[in-house]
Parts: sequence; structure tokens; C-alpha cells
Amino acid sequence: MRRVYLDHSATTPVDARVVEAMLPYLSEKFGNASSVHFFGQQARAGVDRARREVAALIGARPQEIVFLSGGTEANNLAVRGIAEASAAYGRHIITSQIEHPSTRGVMDALEKSGWQVTRLPVYDDGIVRTEDVRRAIRRDTVLISLMLANNEIGTIQPVAEVGALVRELRAEGRRHLWLHTDAVQAAGRMTVDVELLGCDLLSLSAHKLYAPKGVGALFVRRGVRFIQQIVGGHQERERRAGTESVANVVAFGEAARLAVEEMAERTERTRRLRDRFEAGVEARIEEIVFNGNRQQRLPHLSNISFRYIEGEGLLINLDMQGVAVSTGSACSSGSLEPSPVIRALGRTDEMARGSIRFSFGKDNTDEDVDYTLEALTRAVENLRRLSPLYLESRPVPPALI
Amino acid sequence: MYSEILKDHLARPRHAGEMKDANVRAEQTNPVCGDRLSLFMRVAGNRIEAASFLAYGCAPTLACGSALVEMIEGMTVEDAARIKREDLMRALGGLPNRKQHAAALAIETLRAALEAAHL
Repeated sequence: MRRVYLDHSATTPVDARVVEAMLPYLSEKFGNASSVHFFGQQARAGVDRARREVAALIGARPQEIVFLSGGTEANNLAVRGIAEASAAYGRHIITSQIEHPSTRGVMDALEKSGWQVTRLPVYDDGIVRTEDVRRAIRRDTVLISLMLANNEIGTIQPVAEVGALVRELRAEGRRHLWLHTDAVQAAGRMTVDVELLGCDLLSLSAHKLYAPKGVGALFVRRGVRFIQQIVGGHQERERRAGTESVANVVAFGEAARLAVEEMAERTERTRRLRDRFEAGVEARIEEIVFNGNRQQRLPHLSNISFRYIEGEGLLINLDMQGVAVSTGSACSSGSLEPSPVIRALGRTDEMARGSIRFSFGKDNTDEDVDYTLEALTRAVENLRRLSPLYLESRPVPPALI
Repeated sequence: MYSEILKDHLARPRHAGEMKDANVRAEQTNPVCGDRLSLFMRVAGNRIEAASFLAYGCAPTLACGSALVEMIEGMTVEDAARIKREDLMRALGGLPNRKQHAAALAIETLRAALEAAHL
């Protein structure tokens, strides 16, 4: 059976060039990067080079990059690290209603320990308004955490505008207000530059960039003080203890280098495939809704609600035809958990339940799009044939069995 | 996560759709998650001659509807009344714990239909 992978926002395959770059660090260059001897220094050189490459991906200085285990740890370290360092100045944080679960989780935990969290709305287009951020800032606000691009619908948030706002306030003497952005989905898919964004912290994950799972980074602007969360070692300039995962870090560096080099080509390719896919879906399938602003979004991603059916059944139907996609909704133990992101757009439970994310990658082809359109049309027809909601919505009853 | 049998029911649902000449109909909704199952049967004497279903909800709910109608078609009403949640789950090659409510909804719908058949 043909297999088409359209879940690149979940993870990407490791690029063969990345595998090649990391392999020596799993064999002959096995040293601990903290060791003083030859083997250690070999590993250290690999980590240092990777740090320069990852820094270049986001326009940062190498010493501003902290390697860690991935996007979730980066978001936890950024939010909790700043919160703990700034609690004396205030206990209020501003964020959005559509952050990744890792950010949402740490916000919920802080709230339980007495912090106040303002979660800004995203309206029907999935975008936070800078004016809402301005209005939400209080005397005791110490952190704004706003993702750069959403993981389910791909909408790009006005982080640069918020960054300008924070700089403006800083110029007026506001010294303890920091801006964090989760750029896990955005990096490698759009230009990400910490100077243009004006952010103080920025989260990255390697496995969305054709590198392995288990490694990521947090950009921490020089001069930003935060409390280290994993302690007991001097690694990463006392910012994150634990022996560096050298081979993974090297892989991340190589993947970042390739992302910079191939950004224009990858962006153009995925955008063209995505747009052709969306045009095909519109032509073939009725009663669909595109979720999120279709201009201000990542080029590789499409999120569509198929009315009257549920995402999980559609996902499995597609998987049985070889097409891999994802849905943000889950029905667990009889309780419905429609995607919080789609719900935040003001959609009904039914629409949120029927939402599917298609995320394209650099190696997808036109044939992948054609095959997926055929499989998707069949799957939607198949499930709507079973759906009482669909039959009730028809003006004339369909053929009866 | 799901068995090949369950996935096959999703890809090729058995007896899907509303039955025009059904003499028994029942519908149940899970008020918590909104899953819906409608069951149609043509009962003659005490035998279920034909059965079909409609379903909205998560994958196991759709598969339970399909497996249930396949199971009961040709059965006597008395035999169908003895079907338990576990029987249906077994027919689907098992269900994850947190999805067993789908089988419960199917059995509730069956019971409601059989009750209607007796009237």
C-alpha cells in the first residue's frame, strides 16, 4: 500500500544528511563534552559547532542557546524559570488560549500555586490581538508567553508587535517584564529572528526540523535571569544540568544548518502542495470549514473541519488507506475533549470534533496530494453515510437500504 | 491501540444506513460525549431478519454499531437479549479501557430496541 505521511507537525523523519552528521558521535567521538581529555574535547567541538548553527537559525549568539531535551522542557524552563526569578516583582502572566499543552500545563501548575494567569482570546481567525496584550498588562505582570505559530492551525501570532510593546515599556523603566515565545512549529518553516521578534526567551525542538527526538533548545537573551530547573551539574553554563546528548545536539545543529540553507525552497514547496491540496478538498467535499486565518499561517499546514463526522474515525479511515494525519480532539472514558484550539475559535463541539490537521513536509510530492485527495473523499463519504447528523441535515432523504 | 477487526469495521461498515422497512427503531445518546447510535431492525415472529445502524462519535462507537448489527442479524430476540458488552468487545478484538463506553452505548441501544420489539 502507498504510504503518505502528512503529520510533519507531530514529527519529521530524520534527514539522511543529519544521520550522517551524528553517527560519528555515537561511535568514535563518544566522549563526555565536559571531560578535559581528547575524547571529551572532540565531543565538545561537536556541541560548540551545533550551538553556532542553532543560534544562526534564529539570529542569536551561540552563548544564548541552552540545549535541553525538547520543546516541552524548553517551555517549562522558560515559564517556570522566569516566574521563580521574578516572583518578587509580581505574580501575573499573560498567555493565549491556544498555547501548546506543555505551556498550558506549566501555566495551570503556576496558577495552583497562587499565580494569576490571563489567557487571551484568539477570535475566529486564531490570532491574538496586540491591543489585547497591551490592555492585559498590569503592574504585577512579569511574563508574556505567546507562541509564534500554533501547532494545530498554524496561525502566526503577532510576537514581533508584542516584542515592540515590551521594548517600549522597558524604555519607560519597566525592568521586570519578559517575553517568551514557543517557536517549536515556526522554526525552519518561516524566518525566525530573535532581534526582529524582540523576545527574551524562545523555545525550539529538533524533531520538527528533520532531526531526532529528545533534543531541543531554549534561547535566553544575554542578561535575562531565570532560575535553573534541572540542577546538579555545571553543563550549559549552569543553566541546565545533565550530560549533553552529544549526538542528538550535533544532529540538531546539522538540521538547523540545512533548514537555513533550504528554507526558501522548503517553504515554497510545502506551500504549493498545501494550497493545491486545499483547492482539491474544496472542489471535492462539501460542508467543510478551514480553521484559522488562511493568510497569516505556516506554509505547510492545513486544518479542516469536516461537518457531521468525527476526527478519529476519519483518521483511522485515512490510515487504513495509507495516509497519516492527526486530530486534536479526543473522546476518552466517555468524556469529550474537543480540541481546545478549535473551541477557542468559537466553533461548536461538533466542528471541533471533526477537525483534522494535514501537515506537509519537504519530501512530499504532487502524487501524495492526489492520492490523499482520493483517499479523503472516500473516507468522508464512507463516514457521512453512517452519520445520523449528516442524514438529518439533508433536504431530501438519501436512498434507503 | 485498535484491533485490525475494529479498523476493518470502520473501513467497511456492515449494514450502514437507515432501514426503510424496519419495524423496530431505537436511538441512544451518550449525554457526556455526544456519541449517538441508531439501530433499525426488521423483526418477524421472534427473529431479527435484518438490522442496520447509524452512528456519530469516536471510532469505537462506529465500529460497535457495525459489529452489533452483524452479530444480531438472524438471531432470535431472546438470543440477542443475552448479548453483553463483553461479547461485543470480544467481537471487535477488544477495546481500550477508556473506550469501553462505546460498547455500553451499543448494548443500551440494543436493549431499547428489544424492548420496543416486545411491544
